Amino acid sequence: MSRGEVPASFEPFLALYAPHCLVEFPLMSRSVQQLDATIEVVTPENIAFHYRVAGPFSRLAALLMDYALRLMGFGAICLLTLLILALLAIVLPGIRGVFTFLSSFATAILVVSWFVLDWFYGGILETYWNGQTLGKRIFGLRVLTIHGEPINGLQAVLRNVLRYVDLFPLLSLEIFNGLGPEQMFENQRWPSAYVIPTLIVGLVAMMLNRRYQRLGDLVCGTMVVIDERQWLTGIVKLEDQRASQLAGLLPADFVVSPTLARALAMYVDRRRFFSFARRREIAKHLAEPLLKRFGLPLDTSYDLLLCALYYRAFVADLGDAATGAGEDPFRTAQPFRTEDPFRRSALGPPTSVVVPVPSSANSTVA
Amino acid sequence: MKVAELLDLRRRNWQELERLCDEVQTLRKSELNPAVISRFATLYRAACADLALADAYQLPPNTVRYLHQLVARAHNQLYRSRPFEPAAWMELLFEQVPRRIFSDRCVQLAFLLFWGVFILSAVLASRKDLWPDYAEQVLTPSMIHQLEQNFDEPLTGRAYELNLIMAAGYIQHNTSIGLKCFAGGLLIIPGLFVTMFNAGFLGAAFGYMARPEVSAGENFFQFVTAHGPFELTAVVLSAGAGLRLGVSLLITHGFTRVDSLRKTANEAMPIMAAAMILFFLAAFTEAFISPSSLPYVIKAIWAIASSTGLMFYFVVLGFPRRRVRANG
Repeated sequence: MSRGEVPASFEPFLALYAPHCLVEFPLMSRSVQQLDATIEVVTPENIAFHYRVAGPFSRLAALLMDYALRLMGFGAICLLTLLILALLAIVLPGIRGVFTFLSSFATAILVVSWFVLDWFYGGILETYWNGQTLGKRIFGLRVLTIHGEPINGLQAVLRNVLRYVDLFPLLSLEIFNGLGPEQMFENQRWPSAYVIPTLIVGLVAMMLNRRYQRLGDLVCGTMVVIDERQWLTGIVKLEDQRASQLAGLLPADFVVSPTLARALAMYVDRRRFFSFARRREIAKHLAEPLLKRFGLPLDTSYDLLLCALYYRAFVADLGDAATGAGEDPFRTAQPFRTEDPFRRSALGPPTSVVVPVPSSANSTVA
Repeated sequence: MKVAELLDLRRRNWQELERLCDEVQTLRKSELNPAVISRFATLYRAACADLALADAYQLPPNTVRYLHQLVARAHNQLYRSRPFEPAAWMELLFEQVPRRIFSDRCVQLAFLLFWGVFILSAVLASRKDLWPDYAEQVLTPSMIHQLEQNFDEPLTGRAYELNLIMAAGYIQHNTSIGLKCFAGGLLIIPGLFVTMFNAGFLGAAFGYMARPEVSAGENFFQFVTAHGPFELTAVVLSAGAGLRLGVSLLITHGFTRVDSLRKTANEAMPIMAAAMILFFLAAFTEAFISPSSLPYVIKAIWAIASSTGLMFYFVVLGFPRRRVRANG
């Protein structure tokens, strides 16, 4: 009974929290992992970290934003060229030949810049901005290879050129012919130009693989991930003093196992969003058998017990008071030293060291 | 030691790494201070180690999630995307691409398809006894009328300014068609459709203009001679490169379909790049040489020279040879 084993009734407790932390739980099957679209990437440093893959709809938003920005950018180039031409016309009124040459040169540049924007906007930006276009930057997306490395120029250009097929099938403008008020468009006939994208090919391709890759992505071996940022939240401050007091009453030889610690952390992190009745309902599965095991009165608040366990697991160690902190290998840990403090810690996880404490000491701590 | 204390110790490093990520993001590699890079790398390794030991430390899940994202961000800054390297591209374009084109069955197939349909269509359009209305059905009468009008008068040369605009227009229009041929090739059918549609249409126009009673014919052939070799070769190349992508999905040589596609894409993209260069050359020829009043001989010489150049590129540079340097 010295180790905190997971009681049988712990399973539903885990299941309740499954949606919030799919990756961390080895119990959860891969099908659950897919719900969250998380991809694991192993780096050259032999670290595995997780990316959330961007789904079709956040990518659609970025695509539309890119289209809009591209149009605006082209408009800006046009205006700028016009402005420069107008200024030149004022400055050089006499030399008409030069001006006509300049204006046609400007037109040629506009046509070519439209071509470049049309086909290579994404490719160029993703090459020089580390896998992001303007739209992707705004919506917090980034293109990576499927191994989590940054893409190279070839991949960036190719995946953007191949977008043309992902927009298939294209519809003709003729579909607008029957629409609209009759009298307004009586003589209006839309030409037969196949330019309206439906994105169906790309969408189907995305549905058929785990990383939501469209055809262009499949060809280049790239994927789009969410460039997430999160604030470091750290340890939850328990405002209820009784939790720390109760922690002192728990048996000194009870060690919180890693799985239990994780479940506790998740519970305490989210309990402020729950009502009292809901907290009681959730905590009951775990707290009831534990109360029996600890021999505490059964009418103790379930929520309080879990908070006390959390306090014991994460905040205060009873052992610190008894043994003194000087021997702790973490105390001197400096992450930027090369003589590695982690190596020692890796040999023995700190929490598995049980320090026997006389039961009289319990009341003095906390 | 408890997690709370550990977090207090580590927080400073993580937040410094976060700040460095923000700073480094906007800078280019040459602008970075070496001290910053080395500090960044140390902090990154430390964060990696923290993440690796997260289980042993019993870090709470939200901190682990934070670390995942921090390490991912730092990783993205440390391993950045590599832009194009001109020297590597020159070697690719003049050594590897011609060899690939020379031995590529898909380019050969696209060549046969394009020219087969082109010649068939031209023959049908030029002779009235086989299919009397063929040219009118393919080109539509209004298009024929416009074509005849365009080439009614002998080529006297356009204004220089107009040529510039036309060059840009040709680049935009023709290269777009080439890129569409290439991208459509991934699904095979759209690529074949675009290729054969263009072949049939162009063939019909050539055939119609070759009819003896069409007066605009002579001017038309004077116009198209100069840029024909570049432009038509470029269309064939882009169609072939696209087809290569699509076919790699069907014939996988033992790879999975996606792997086969990925492997082929690296080979097909440089071919497309070569095709784009040809499109640009064709556009400038079409804008500056074709409509000019230069004598036909010069345009013909240009056409012969460009064909010879292409032949040299495909056959001499492309002829399969044993790799000497690869073994040495």
